[in-house]
Amino acid sequence: MSNKGENDNLPAAPGTHPEPVVIGTRQGMFGVSDGGDTSGYGGLVAPVLFPAAALRPYGGYFDEVADALERALVGGSALYAQAIERVVIDRGEMTVFVAREHLVGVARALRDDPSLRFEMCTGVSGVHYPHEAGRELHAVYHLRSITNGGRQIRLEVTCPDDDCHIPSIVAVYPANDWHERETWDMFGIEFDGHPALTRILMPDDWPGHPQRKDYPLGGIPVEYKGATIPPPDQRRSYN
Amino acid sequence: MTNPYVPLLFLAALGAGFAVLSVVAGAFVGPKRYNRAKADAYECGIEPTPQALGGGKVPVKYYLTAMLFIIFDIESVFLYPFAVAFSKLGLFALVEMVLFILTVFVAYAYVWRRGGLEWD
Amino acid sequence: MGIEEKLPAGFLLTTVEQLAGYFRKSSVWPATFGLACCAIEMMAVGTPDYDIARFGMERFSATPRQADLMIVAGRVSQKMAPVVRQVYDQMPEPKWVISMGVCASSGGMFNNYAIVQGVDHIIPVDVYLPGCPPRPEMLLNAIITLHEQIQNTPLGVNRVAAAHAAEAAALAATPTHDMKGLLA
Repeated sequence: MSNKGENDNLPAAPGTHPEPVVIGTRQGMFGVSDGGDTSGYGGLVAPVLFPAAALRPYGGYFDEVADALERALVGGSALYAQAIERVVIDRGEMTVFVAREHLVGVARALRDDPSLRFEMCTGVSGVHYPHEAGRELHAVYHLRSITNGGRQIRLEVTCPDDDCHIPSIVAVYPANDWHERETWDMFGIEFDGHPALTRILMPDDWPGHPQRKDYPLGGIPVEYKGATIPPPDQRRSYN
Repeated sequence: MTNPYVPLLFLAALGAGFAVLSVVAGAFVGPKRYNRAKADAYECGIEPTPQALGGGKVPVKYYLTAMLFIIFDIESVFLYPFAVAFSKLGLFALVEMVLFILTVFVAYAYVWRRGGLEWD
Repeated sequence: MGIEEKLPAGFLLTTVEQLAGYFRKSSVWPATFGLACCAIEMMAVGTPDYDIARFGMERFSATPRQADLMIVAGRVSQKMAPVVRQVYDQMPEPKWVISMGVCASSGGMFNNYAIVQGVDHIIPVDVYLPGCPPRPEMLLNAIITLHEQIQNTPLGVNRVAAAHAAEAAALAATPTHDMKGLLA
């Protein structure tokens, strides 16, 4: 089990760990931000932060996992350095950023090595960061080891918007079939080697990928007696 | 005096008549609003998988088996009385029956070579 | 055939209408069309506590061929829309539709790309039932309203006249954007 102490769920205090990485700024919160905003949220400016790479020792079982992964990858440490971009330990959870070319090898090592044995992959989720040039689309895999006491690890793979291909790990974790279809449907990440990458949530001939940040909400104005209310993403912010 | 089974016949006629009346009355009185989907097979709301004409219900291999059975069964029907009366019939009958069997054997060899005896 | 549509007017027609209406409303079989959360309330209506069996409607039919009433219970997504239409088309006449819940009536809280904004974009609806989800008693109220509609359905020439009258009324009615609500 991950040993969650009382402070494990808090973000790092400034100065103790490497500072978070700023990948962009966020202007405003919700709704229209040009005129008519009475809530004040339209003037909000906030940085978009990512936790930085963690330093050894990671704590808990994360060190064991990192060492075992290094041993298990064919080729030893050299391949580990190529395959693993960075390891992030944040709020008591371990995220391993994997280079997309080595994803299948890392997944196979995590599944097969006796001291790792992450036999359960609960699916792949897509994330879209439009501010992060060159790494816009992320695919996040959550792995769980039942044999080794409920350990959890997260793999994160990035790809640029204009070349959004990630190798499919259906050969390693067959249950990812539909999850990868959903990620393709919603984000447009193409999984090379997937047996049948088709739309699963939207109709087969739907254009676009709805969960990207630049995809409009698609609402229609609603007509009441005496007034018409615009769709949610075009309304004033009321307070 | 009257046959005791007459009321039974009457009840059967009443039941049959009611069933027929229900179906016919429904066909007469009911609205006729045809649309293409009503004639389609129900497949949980999606377009049904294309089927052969008539629904593709019975595979044709059953027809082939039945036809072959008829032919060779008729041959054996001819063989039975021949076998029973063989002692009274002379050489002429034997030669004639052998020719008959050879003729049907040609058909048998043809079906065999053409694959008609394969089930799948 | 189709005598029902060719019945002549008169006193006898009224009696026939009432009789046919009574028979039709007493044996409505709903089609299972629970799509989302409203389906739970529809199931609850089938339980003894709220009891749809008192109308003879406890037999929800999974096949549209034997269904009279389509209770669209839940949000209809863009992917589900042709399925709704196909199932509605495969129901034999006479058939009715209750759109249960706000999502089926108007898209509900989901004003976005994925949800059809009201199932009446796809099929004709007889009774709209708001609620998120409507309580089982509200669904029963909608069903009773539908029963009254069924009881009083005109047949034959009366139906033609009623259709003309409904069309004339709709053409003469105030459009929604001209109506003044409670604020005016």
